[in-house]
Amino acid sequence: MERGSLHERRERLSKLVPKIAPVTFARDRVLPVTASLEPLLPEAGLIRGSIVGCQGPTALSVALALVAGASAAGSWVAVVGIPSLGLRAASEVGIALDRLVMVAEPARDAGEEPWTNVLSALIDGFDLVVLRADVRAATARRLQSRLQARGAVLVVVGDPGPFSCDVTVTCGPGTWEGLGHGSGRLVQRRLALTANGRRLPRERRLEVWLPGPDGLVAAVTTPTAMPDERPAAFRRTG
Amino acid sequence: MPGLARPPRLVVVQCPDWSVVAAGAPAAEPAAVLHANRVLARTAAAAAAGVRQGHRRREAQRICPELRIIDHDPARDGREFEAAVRTVREMVPRLETTEPGLLTFPAKGPARYFGGEHAMALRVAELIATSLPAAVAAAGSATSMFGIGIADGRFTAGVAAHDSARHSARRCDQQPTIVDPGLEATRAYLAPLSVATLRDVGGLSAELVDLLHRLGLRTLGGLAALPAPDVLARFGPAGAFAHRIAGGGDDRPPGTAEAPPELCAACTFDEPVVLLDPLVFAAKQLAHELHAQLAANGRVCTRLAVLAETECGERSEHLWYRPNGLSAAAIVERVRWQLDGWIRRPGSGTRSSPGSSPGSSTGPGSGIVLLRLTPDEVRADDGSQLGFWGGRSVADEWAVRTVARVAGLVGDEHVLVPVRHGGRSPGDAYRWVPVDRVDLEADQRLQGVEAPWPGQLPAPSPATVLAEPLPAEVIGATGDVVRVNGRGQLSAVPDSVAVNGREHTPITGWAGPWPLDERWWDPPTHRRVARFQFVTERGAALLAVVENQQWWITAIY
Repeated sequence: MERGSLHERRERLSKLVPKIAPVTFARDRVLPVTASLEPLLPEAGLIRGSIVGCQGPTALSVALALVAGASAAGSWVAVVGIPSLGLRAASEVGIALDRLVMVAEPARDAGEEPWTNVLSALIDGFDLVVLRADVRAATARRLQSRLQARGAVLVVVGDPGPFSCDVTVTCGPGTWEGLGHGSGRLVQRRLALTANGRRLPRERRLEVWLPGPDGLVAAVTTPTAMPDERPAAFRRTG
Repeated sequence: MPGLARPPRLVVVQCPDWSVVAAGAPAAEPAAVLHANRVLARTAAAAAAGVRQGHRRREAQRICPELRIIDHDPARDGREFEAAVRTVREMVPRLETTEPGLLTFPAKGPARYFGGEHAMALRVAELIATSLPAAVAAAGSATSMFGIGIADGRFTAGVAAHDSARHSARRCDQQPTIVDPGLEATRAYLAPLSVATLRDVGGLSAELVDLLHRLGLRTLGGLAALPAPDVLARFGPAGAFAHRIAGGGDDRPPGTAEAPPELCAACTFDEPVVLLDPLVFAAKQLAHELHAQLAANGRVCTRLAVLAETECGERSEHLWYRPNGLSAAAIVERVRWQLDGWIRRPGSGTRSSPGSSPGSSTGPGSGIVLLRLTPDEVRADDGSQLGFWGGRSVADEWAVRTVARVAGLVGDEHVLVPVRHGGRSPGDAYRWVPVDRVDLEADQRLQGVEAPWPGQLPAPSPATVLAEPLPAEVIGATGDVVRVNGRGQLSAVPDSVAVNGREHTPITGWAGPWPLDERWWDPPTHRRVARFQFVTERGAALLAVVENQQWWITAIY
């Protein structure tokens, strides 16, 4: 076997690296989502390096449901600036709480720089970052290039501000079932989701139970009724 | 095993029920320490009644109804153990602690000094027993709580200590187990033992032991009789290690070496420190520094010397051992145990045995000026903890590092992780705690006592739990505020709700009241509320409570 100094051998190897490096397509770099949400997203998952926006009155629930599949599969999730996150709901929707970390938004008196560093560090170390905070345009640009380099996914809850989202999921208020007038309890919510974005040639619509009766996301199996023909929102159970 | 050095002759002192001893429970009282709803340790009386380690709480209470349950507190265990072994340390050099309740030291010197291994074992047991809390020691033969094993190698000595603990407890007297030196004697001692010993003492995975058992390899002798290359080919490195220790071979992981002498992390304080917290804070920095130095060389520390010195020259020095390597968090935890045990000890030497140097068996008389961490034994970090399927993964490693980095940037109190807490409100089931209070690498924080919490609202739970409830106003059709009386009756049907002074929104669906009367035995924390679920015309679902006729919105679905 040919021998040489460590330096020479490294030199030879570094020439080989681009030749043997595998080509990866976007569809290969996808974090999984819960099966019932797959029809909504391009490549049926969260593409690494992309930004997903969640808008609407139930954006937080939708964001949790989107990251649940990857979290259950072993990814770590960082939540930034959402101190009111309901942990029981997160665990019910399928997020592994032992891989969940929250960073409370620190006081901004020290300027934007430390804050940018925090977000960059999170993108370096976590697969998924769920963010609800206003950031400056310059910070957003830096984070966006960092995301693509590191292969993390940023989920922005609420107004995306300066971020340009690859996919935007818009959700309505939904319709709760199970509650009567003085009877029953909240059981499940039927939620209409709409996805728009660069990688979607046309808008995709999906109706899901979010949360379903056990807290998980479930596909709506009954055929969708037209909105004006929909039966009464609440059925009496008592 | 040609070419390999013989493992050193070691003494292992083990107290399987250390947690109850640390909690100060007398042996005559049935008591048990529980962790994650399983019995971790129990007193002699509870053991006599039939309570075993690993029993569930309910099972233990069925066997022994008068059982007193004590909460698990690792810091207390570490502190008390540190205090108890102090007297032994004065007699014996190079004492190392693996965990509270498990002590190891080389047998050679002390055995000669005390006149034989048997005499030494009895003397050590006596020394520990005298330094135990009076309540525990007075209740019976305190020396019978320990198992002392003397043998070649850590594994064999550990097995012997296990054996000795069992015998001592049965005979109510200290019965050390001594295995004769030499490979033949070690093999003969291990051969008839079950392969389950590899899991219980050797720290090998339960899957491997189960596999060996199912393949018909029931005893260590049976495993040791197989040819080593075949075992390696079939079971991989873990199997080869099991084979080696089952045959009485060297149980140190390959690549173990003495640490280079220049490797150490020290911190001197210009102003002597008397409080624990600043010391632990300094230790945290030192631990990270040391860990980074070692990681740069691709090594991990398996044995660490922690030294603290006061301005008057009093010293507390201790060796800590962990076979998988000490992470930065594990180092900090051990420094805390050691210093907590030393600082809390009263300054007067009432319990110091005669002949010991004054000051060393008592607490420090003055502030601490030097803290030094010196790796004593390092080995190549083979990344054995990173699992491909299950276990720790590279993602975990990265995330844990990132958490440490972010905590450095924004402060420990701003980085939070969930911990199981338990309670009836949606915000009580789990709580956020600052990341410096937990060890991220030990995933026990989410296993709490699995209490049923009758009266908690069933799933689905609200996605937003407000830290500060919002004041609200709920009115009936007539425009009067809806009131709930002591019997849970409503004054009117809720018709509309106004949150935080905004305009009223009609209520389209509601349920409740679900009364909750919590902690009535404790007036300051007593709460008596009624809970409601509302769905408003806009489709929002709210969780509301009434307390003292004031409506609050506590969570949003």
